[in-house]
Amino acid sequence: MSLDTWLNGRTGTVNQSTTRANNRPVSRIVIVGGGTAGWLAACRIAAAADPAAEHPIEVTLIASPDVATVGVGEGTWPTMRATLEKIGISEVEALLACDGSFKQGSRFIGWATGAEGDAYLHPFSPPVDADPVALVAAWQAKAAGCSFADAVTPQAGVAQRRLAPRQRSMPDYAGALNYGYHLDATKLAGLLARHATGRLGVRHLCDHVTGVERAEDDTVLAVHARSHGPIAGDFFLDCTGQAALLMADVPWIDRGGTLFNDRALAVQVSVAPDSPIAAQTDATAHRAGWIWDIGLPTRRGVGCVYSSGHMSDDEAAATLAAYLGVAEVPTARRLVFRSGHRERFWSGNCLAIGLSAGFLEPLEASAIVTVELSIDALLADWPSPATMPIQAKRFNELFRYRWDRIVEFLKLHYALSRRQEPYWRDHRAPETMPERLAELMALWTHRPPCSDDLPMVDEVFAAASYQYVLYGMTDAVTAPGQFRPQPAPKLAAVEQRARALSASLPTNRAYLDALRAAHGSPALEQQS
Amino acid sequence: MSKHAILTSEQHRELRVSTTRGADLGDAVMSSLIVPDEFRRVQNEYPILFHRNLERDSYTALALFGFENGENLFLDGDRWDARYRPLAVDIQPFLIGRPAIEGGEAQVHVDLDSPRIAPGGEGVRVFDEDGRPTPYLETIAEQLGALDAGWRGSDDFFAALTRYNLIEPLTVDVTLDNGSEHRLAGYHGIDEDRLQALDASELGDLHDAGHLMPIFMALASLSNLAKLIARKNAAVARG
Repeated sequence: MSLDTWLNGRTGTVNQSTTRANNRPVSRIVIVGGGTAGWLAACRIAAAADPAAEHPIEVTLIASPDVATVGVGEGTWPTMRATLEKIGISEVEALLACDGSFKQGSRFIGWATGAEGDAYLHPFSPPVDADPVALVAAWQAKAAGCSFADAVTPQAGVAQRRLAPRQRSMPDYAGALNYGYHLDATKLAGLLARHATGRLGVRHLCDHVTGVERAEDDTVLAVHARSHGPIAGDFFLDCTGQAALLMADVPWIDRGGTLFNDRALAVQVSVAPDSPIAAQTDATAHRAGWIWDIGLPTRRGVGCVYSSGHMSDDEAAATLAAYLGVAEVPTARRLVFRSGHRERFWSGNCLAIGLSAGFLEPLEASAIVTVELSIDALLADWPSPATMPIQAKRFNELFRYRWDRIVEFLKLHYALSRRQEPYWRDHRAPETMPERLAELMALWTHRPPCSDDLPMVDEVFAAASYQYVLYGMTDAVTAPGQFRPQPAPKLAAVEQRARALSASLPTNRAYLDALRAAHGSPALEQQS
Repeated sequence: MSKHAILTSEQHRELRVSTTRGADLGDAVMSSLIVPDEFRRVQNEYPILFHRNLERDSYTALALFGFENGENLFLDGDRWDARYRPLAVDIQPFLIGRPAIEGGEAQVHVDLDSPRIAPGGEGVRVFDEDGRPTPYLETIAEQLGALDAGWRGSDDFFAALTRYNLIEPLTVDVTLDNGSEHRLAGYHGIDEDRLQALDASELGDLHDAGHLMPIFMALASLSNLAKLIARKNAAVARG
């Protein structure tokens, strides 16, 4: 059926339809793609929508039965707590259904020198509130050997003991410390899909999109699906992953020259039922990349990320095997990617969310949080037909800023290294360095990162994150002392708080076992 | 029968205690022993009554939480709706132990049969992994010390009240909104008329010994009876 006949069949004539579309608020949302990004978007929009509105928002999600989701994104940011709460999923349900555990940060092993004992934590909780210069001075005044994270936040000691960030008696999504989740991404998508269709009224079409129908001005009018034919909408979300079915024409900005990693080898290792569950993602550097290690209650997800220009696939497999302490890696998934993103994310009446917008190597688990931020921005400034070009421009500027900052923050981890392998030396080559990062790093050789260095209200990575990485990998700068010192933060209180929390928090394993004992887990997965 | 043990970091390195509130944790009680040192804080929340122990011919003080056995009108699920809880409630499942020898130092004992002994790795640790007391145990030790000192002061306090004949039987008749009548009997309180009749030197004696303030606190605390009745009415109305 041609578009004309189809539109005529519905509304009379194409012209009439266009006129009406211009006056009507954006209410028919079509999401293409049923991975984490698509279902998160569907849930957030449907949960926020008022069904009693004059023009109620209708969300349709088309998921292809032919396309497997990527499903290895297993670490979330603390933002996921607010996201799940807004969607209306209880924390208990999320933890049980996604085989989840708590993530309190990332530990970087072997990044500075690769020598024995080279490790630091980048926790989610910010340092105790203080002027950055005074904070660094107070840390330096502590006994030698005390890491920056240990000195400035009780989270370091808690994470090291593999304790949960909360007690079960606390209200949902509240914590004694800041935390996100480690979870099974495939199960998360499943939970979101059940919640979206079962409780939020999202229309789910299991169909394969074969074409896109555009108006002369490039506005998307409908997507064509194999069984359902044309599916019209006012606004389209491209959540189709690397395929980018609706956004493929928008130019791609390659970031591979700054972030070399372009391959990953992912495995899952089962764990003993009573084994301890780590409180952070471990990222262990190797000679041409790094290995992620994410502990869930029933398994560990482990993956070797590497640069194909510096390491062969076989060498990567051997590196992973050596890490796991096995002769040969079990069945592994091979992932090929290229760090980069679109030049624009919002084009016409179509917004790319998820891998269709871009992908950066998973070092800081930035994929899901970028999805969350995109949906936040969309809902905060809901598209209106008359102003859509302005909204698109503003969105694109904001997210270009954010992708640039994420690229810089990821690069920082490599730029500060003193490892000598070719991969690591290449990473420090000036031509691979974003200019802004090089300038900031120059400044930070004589003063700490401060909030003025990251001036946006909602920076993806705040100054605290830069401090954790900088002082995890390098020595502190000593202020020349030309100014009166600011009030020193009370680091003794941090220590006392760490002691109190270490005493009162259960281990991740004890928490999650007790949760399962109290609620049982399989029942939740049966819902649909 | 309770199983008491001397608390040691060797024996109880992994011990965890539930510090949340709940009926299943032993909080569904109508009263708790209190000591005169804490009357000031207790009278912000609870009526203070005296109870005569016939065997020992002595008195103890109580904070009242309810009108019948097992009724704690401050307990709401896992919440204890008050800004202060008596020391004797807060220190559970710990207690003060004294060795058999005269003059031996007080020890911290733990009731291992208490429902507050947490199974399964949840609850608050008493010792850290190196065997040092946690901040929680440090707080408990301070509370136990305060309670121990309070006990020793308690006998003096009631001896003084007896000496000045300031204790009188107290009966509280309660009529609830639904018309049902309840009577709290067998308790004692301060005889206000006698208190008013004391002369300056008698008041001075009581004051010098530190008893005057708790006497007035106990007297003032009875205004909490009306609030407790209101809680009871609300509980009855909820069903």
